[in-house]
Amino acid sequence: MRRAFLFLLLVIAACTPSDERTELRIQRFFGACDADYGGRTDIAAAEGECGIMTSIINAFEAENPDIRVNRNVVFWPGYDQLTAQLAANDAPDLVTMHGSVISDYQARDLLLPLGDAMAEQGINTADFTDAARRAVEIDGQLWGLPIDTWAPLWHINMNLFREAGLVEEGEPILPTNKEELFAQAEQFRQRTGKPYFVQATANEYASFTRNFYTFIYQQGSSPYTEDGRANFTTPEAAEALSLFREIYERDMTTKNQDYSASVSGFLNGQGGVYLVGTWMVGTFEQASKETGHALESGYTVYPYPQLYGRNVTYADGHNWVMPADPSRTPEEREAALRFLEFFAEQNVHWSRTGHLPVFQETIDSADWLALPHRENLAPLAANAQPLPKSIRRQFPIETIVGQESAAAVTGAKPVDQTLADMERRINTILDNL
Amino acid sequence: MRAMRLHPAALTLVIIGAVIMMIPLLWVLGLSFKSNAELLADTSRVFSPPYTLENYLNIFGNGEVFRWIINSLIVSLGMTTGVLVISSLAGYAFARLDFPFRNLIFIIVLLGLAVPEQAVIIARHQMFSAVEMHNTYFALIIPGMATPFGVFLMTQYFKAIPKDIDEAALLDGASRFTVFWKVLLPLTIPAQATLGIFVFLTAWNDYWWPLISGTNKEMFTLTVGIASTQQNFAQTEGLGFLMSQAVFAALPILIVYLIFQKYIIQAVAGAAGR
Amino acid sequence: MTDTLSVETASIPKVKRRKAVDWDGYLFIAPYLALFLLMIVTPLLIGVWLSFTKGDLFGVERFVGFENFARLAGDPIFREVVWNTLYFVVLTVPTLTILGLALALALNFQTRWAAVLRTIFFSSTVLSVTVVTLVWRLVFLPDGGLLGEISEALGQTPVAWLNDPQLAMPAIAITTIWWCLGLPMVLYLAALQQVPRELYEAAALDGAGRWRTLWSITLPAVRRTTMIVIVIEIILQFQLFGQPQLMTLGGPNNATRPIVLFIYETGWRQWELGYAAAAAQVLFAMIMVAAMAQYFVSSRKEEA
Repeated sequence: MRRAFLFLLLVIAACTPSDERTELRIQRFFGACDADYGGRTDIAAAEGECGIMTSIINAFEAENPDIRVNRNVVFWPGYDQLTAQLAANDAPDLVTMHGSVISDYQARDLLLPLGDAMAEQGINTADFTDAARRAVEIDGQLWGLPIDTWAPLWHINMNLFREAGLVEEGEPILPTNKEELFAQAEQFRQRTGKPYFVQATANEYASFTRNFYTFIYQQGSSPYTEDGRANFTTPEAAEALSLFREIYERDMTTKNQDYSASVSGFLNGQGGVYLVGTWMVGTFEQASKETGHALESGYTVYPYPQLYGRNVTYADGHNWVMPADPSRTPEEREAALRFLEFFAEQNVHWSRTGHLPVFQETIDSADWLALPHRENLAPLAANAQPLPKSIRRQFPIETIVGQESAAAVTGAKPVDQTLADMERRINTILDNL
Repeated sequence: MRAMRLHPAALTLVIIGAVIMMIPLLWVLGLSFKSNAELLADTSRVFSPPYTLENYLNIFGNGEVFRWIINSLIVSLGMTTGVLVISSLAGYAFARLDFPFRNLIFIIVLLGLAVPEQAVIIARHQMFSAVEMHNTYFALIIPGMATPFGVFLMTQYFKAIPKDIDEAALLDGASRFTVFWKVLLPLTIPAQATLGIFVFLTAWNDYWWPLISGTNKEMFTLTVGIASTQQNFAQTEGLGFLMSQAVFAALPILIVYLIFQKYIIQAVAGAAGR
Repeated sequence: MTDTLSVETASIPKVKRRKAVDWDGYLFIAPYLALFLLMIVTPLLIGVWLSFTKGDLFGVERFVGFENFARLAGDPIFREVVWNTLYFVVLTVPTLTILGLALALALNFQTRWAAVLRTIFFSSTVLSVTVVTLVWRLVFLPDGGLLGEISEALGQTPVAWLNDPQLAMPAIAITTIWWCLGLPMVLYLAALQQVPRELYEAAALDGAGRWRTLWSITLPAVRRTTMIVIVIEIILQFQLFGQPQLMTLGGPNNATRPIVLFIYETGWRQWELGYAAAAAQVLFAMIMVAAMAQYFVSSRKEEA
């Protein structure tokens, strides 16, 4: 013990900074990649979430000699750690947070509103896309700077689509209703001998939830009522589950693949359409440039097709938020706001990750549209549909919805019973807020 | 040691068992030497070249790693030393000394064994918050030292030593502490080694408490630090890197085990033999 | 500190009466006892208090009496997790104990190959749960996993272990046994060192066979260790958490969700601290009953 204590004293002595700069504590996920990006400040040359994020922070520090950035990288999604820090009154200045989680912390007065301060700092908050604004707006206030919007997409293997006769003038033929989907999937199976869909359905539940929410919204219904309760015992919810039940039952999808297996499955040409989020666009685009690859010159990506009355896709996004901290000095707050301004300017760089930009100006810009497939994805800025902010605990709820859906889709439980169980479990959570 | 030989059938079984144990380990090792891009497409390419050291080099590309190793060593060694000392003292007392409420206290301590971590971790966190002690080695070491497992184990081992050994020493006029220190303690070396391995291992691999107590990266332990470097889909996109980190993080414990194992097996057999 | 003081003042009467109360033992247990009270008893009592309240990690909202416990009793998911936990303990604890003993007996030699084999059987224990689960997910994966490839080579349809409600928990049990076998083996090895050699020599002189020696000398000699191993494994395996969290997320259809995962999800994800604390008390009671029953039964046998 004593040895440890002495060591502690030594370490404290060694680490006390004789540094006049303002310390800005930034806590984020997206991993660490210091081996490749440790000292790099060239944002335009960086690749991938981690590389671009690291370079942006490095560049900010280089351009602001009066600020020292304390980078706290945490394991995804980092909320257990953040919750512990907030409970111990030891919050960082800026934290990455999913839009679906913001209302939990905001409702407990743990976040600071940033709308006015960001506007004063010169961030054009009026230009936020609909999806980006809805991710951070509660009661008319903005509770953070949106980093991006992400949505599940139809990643398409064009080589297999061609083989299946589902390409017309270089564009994939996508279904416009359920009957067409099944007919095309049958045709796909007959001509290629492979399933139409590649899906991560084993030990992975997030995609079930995304599909479920998306197709409830597409039918003009909503998974939650106006007063914030689960609304799953509806014909629309039953239809959304039955759709994927039928896809599974009729072998129109790969089965028993976990997330990793489904990624390699799609890369190896095991199926036509992979249902996964915006973050994979870069990886697949890269593969399509490799000779001899199953995706060689044969990758494209689209938002979910409109199979029902409304053209919407469930979406979420990453955001910067500022936890409440009475001990934060005005200088630290100012440093944080300057960082947000700097980050907002790099919007187009961040969107090279595949995620959607948060400023309409970026989406309309030639720079962004010049990136591969972005033209196809641009409509998402208007079509992306996050859950309403009045629904708290979206994160644990997502797991329950996903697990229950999985039971119905794989046939372990009847659809009606699943929807009733799901609604009961989620309303119990919402009743006990 | 007895010159007994193992029955061939038993030997065969043990070797089959060892092979089953080894396959996943070799797999981890193999994955750690493969490039992440190759594994993204197909994880079953593990056993065919090319192999690369790239993943291991990337670990050291992050300068924080050394800090995290030192933190983990301080925490694990501190906890191990602490548990060995206080558990031996208490174990001796519970096994040999007669004092008021001894059995009652021992039973209460035993009941403490049944307390699951999740039943106390939030309250512990609040206690350390109240005294503003998070992000210190003290906070990382102290809770783990309270494990009743050490006391339980040491008490059982002291009880297993025949009483006439220490009674003889006491008759010779040795003090209780001398009996404990000079006579009995050396006889418990196998138990000390077992307990030492167990505590070191638990401390080294612990994730929950360090995650919520040592939240500044200067105080990350190796497990927390390594987890923090993973990207959202590391299991898919960085499988080889993940495995190299696993091998790297496991090496110190394996070394500790190899050192301690000698004391478990080579300790002179049987207290009664002396 | 108070303990030490009381020892000093209390040792005075010892001089007066020869066979008086002897407080010396407190000197030896004081350091541990202080930690125990501070780090286990106090937080446990706080936890008990929390289980009668409603609140989150940022504060208690109100006292609710037995409401949380009543809710647990009526929660079908909680009933499932209790059952899952018991099922897992039954799958793992006896297997770990028996295999641990068998390995220790087989490898209790000072030869080099025994040392190598011991290290092999122990080495899985040094891995952290993250890695163990990652590897075994790859083993169990029907599509490109190790078992999948083997069964395809044998012309069989691969089994979706982790995706099958019947097989998922046994798969997690297999993973756990692979991971945790080292500790019972080492505990038994240490115990075997304490068996007096003379006993074996005497048995050999009597012409006792292998099985007879095992039955009448070795097993009685390691009985105390068997109790330790079982108690410890009961305590450890009741707290199953990382394996299902990382391998199956408690699925499919809740088949692998144990109590600790339930507590974690309720407390840290749903922010229902009181409800999670109540579930933790139930788990505490279950472990206590199981482990202590084992302890007292075997202690009584020993005394008899």
